[in-house]
Amino acid sequence: MANFRQNEYWAENQGVKLYLFRKRLNDDRPRPVFFLVHGSSFSGPGGFDLHVPGKADFSFMEKFAGFGFDVWTLDHEGYGRSDRTDGNSDVLNAIPELEASMKIIETETGSTSAAFYGSSSGALRAAVFAEAHPNRVSKLILDAFVYTGKDAPTLIERTKKLSQWTSSNTRAIDRDFIHSIFTRDKPGTAEDGVADALADYELALGNTVPTGTYSDMCQKLPLCDPKKIQCPVQIIRGEHDGIATEEDLLNYYNELEVRDKQFIIIPGQAHVSHLGVNRARFWHVVKSFLEMPERTDQSGL
Amino acid sequence: MTFETAADIEAEEHWARRGDIDLFIFRKFSRSAQARNPGRPALMFVHGSSFSARTAYDLEAPEFGEYSLMNVFASLGYDVWTMDHEGYGKSSKTDGFSYIADGVADLQAAFPIIERVSGHENACFFGSSSGALRAGAFANSNPDRVAKLVLAALVWTGKGSPSLKKRAERIDEWKANNMRTVDEAAYEGIFSRDVTGLTIPELPRLAAAAEMANGGGSVPNGTYIDMCINLPAVDPTKIECPVLVFRGDHDGIATDEDVLGFFSALPNKDKQIIMMSGQAHNTTIGINRHRFWHVLHDFLTIPARIDQ
Repeated sequence: MANFRQNEYWAENQGVKLYLFRKRLNDDRPRPVFFLVHGSSFSGPGGFDLHVPGKADFSFMEKFAGFGFDVWTLDHEGYGRSDRTDGNSDVLNAIPELEASMKIIETETGSTSAAFYGSSSGALRAAVFAEAHPNRVSKLILDAFVYTGKDAPTLIERTKKLSQWTSSNTRAIDRDFIHSIFTRDKPGTAEDGVADALADYELALGNTVPTGTYSDMCQKLPLCDPKKIQCPVQIIRGEHDGIATEEDLLNYYNELEVRDKQFIIIPGQAHVSHLGVNRARFWHVVKSFLEMPERTDQSGL
Repeated sequence: MTFETAADIEAEEHWARRGDIDLFIFRKFSRSAQARNPGRPALMFVHGSSFSARTAYDLEAPEFGEYSLMNVFASLGYDVWTMDHEGYGKSSKTDGFSYIADGVADLQAAFPIIERVSGHENACFFGSSSGALRAGAFANSNPDRVAKLVLAALVWTGKGSPSLKKRAERIDEWKANNMRTVDEAAYEGIFSRDVTGLTIPELPRLAAAAEMANGGGSVPNGTYIDMCINLPAVDPTKIECPVLVFRGDHDGIATDEDVLGFFSALPNKDKQIIMMSGQAHNTTIGINRHRFWHVLHDFLTIPARIDQ
């Protein structure tokens, strides 16, 4: 088993302290930075560095640290170990949070940019950050993404509770809710024990999360402008993911003006690809995208 | 990707027969690469309109680097096959046009030979340009033979295609004769029609010399005719296997919308579409061909599903 080095840092956005977590192989070699952006309902380390009792290979961070990346994640405002505030931590709030994080990453690693991965509303956060700070994002991976939200089964259901999302800046989460994340699209796409391990981690830190991203996804889409993305993009969709329709995502893909772009559907996967039964297939396509050889021509074409 | 051509690549020639037509089949593999990578599948490369098989997929140009796609994938442990379709390369020159449907029949005739020699009951198929149409149409009619399908430089309906608009201006010429000459000038036109700078300047000379050595410098017109007036040739709704659609940024053979329409219509949710910069129509022999190798190899080696 690989030996990992991990560090904790604190970034700050408008007085809000933000927890930043890093994992890499335990040596001093400089490595490409890979930043994982969490979504609406669980924290960065909770989702991306999960350890399930009696089971192996659930930590996205350790998998890619093992591949040779310097892997970082952040708890956004109101999540995990970051400050719990009166704010609703909406999608656009992530832009200054991620920029504050990148300043620390630059200091620690010398890297001025990183490859970014986001899942669900984390994909929205990563995409709006790439639009606002294109020099910070060398590659962009959008997983469980939604563009306009048109006809998305999950968002149709979520919108029924819109008044609840807008009347309070936080919502309660419990073990049943965390289980529902893994069963709402297609039961059997995640192994037993995953939801409980995630619930154990998250509920030890708090029993609420902010409502901003839920509210955004119900009433403010599209939040992302594909024409403003300047780096290579990979879109990953789990076959059973109800957060968007395939047509919605293909429209986003088609409107991307960058010409290095991928759209990949993985069968047997639902909304949370990185914790799914077939996550090895997910790792494979992500790794392939990150390790794409450079162009050898100087044509500028 | 880190790549080194295996030192022990073996080549074999085989022959299939469709009616009176002799069809040339060519195989490359490396025993050491297969030993290092057990279980790698058979991989069939299907050529397009203007090159015979070995010109397209086994081009020798050592002074410019590795140009043989067969060498690359043999070195990665695959059992690599290709064939000259009717009227191409070493296969019989006939009075026929070697339409896309004929290419499907060629592949049907070839596969029992491949199965007998190698034991493989199916293969991963890669086709480029009208080779993608041949491979796609073969997958339509022979789904049990196609484990995975990779379609490069694909056109579906042809709507809005710059290359096909130009090609259709000469439809009477393509229909008047079953063959056309391919020489250095013809290849210069193919490699420069989308954009210049993404293939080496020496490529037309190298390709023309290879084509003369492989087959005599003429190719049939059937696929040109099909692409001008008989599209769509492939039904995406009848493809059952995983599919990778690969598109070069500057490829004028189809529009983005046309290719996306094909992708969207594929019913199997194990599918990928990859657009790549620095590539035009001839992905496999472009300057940035190593990036294509990377995505092809990674598509072919994705781990199997573990759920039922």
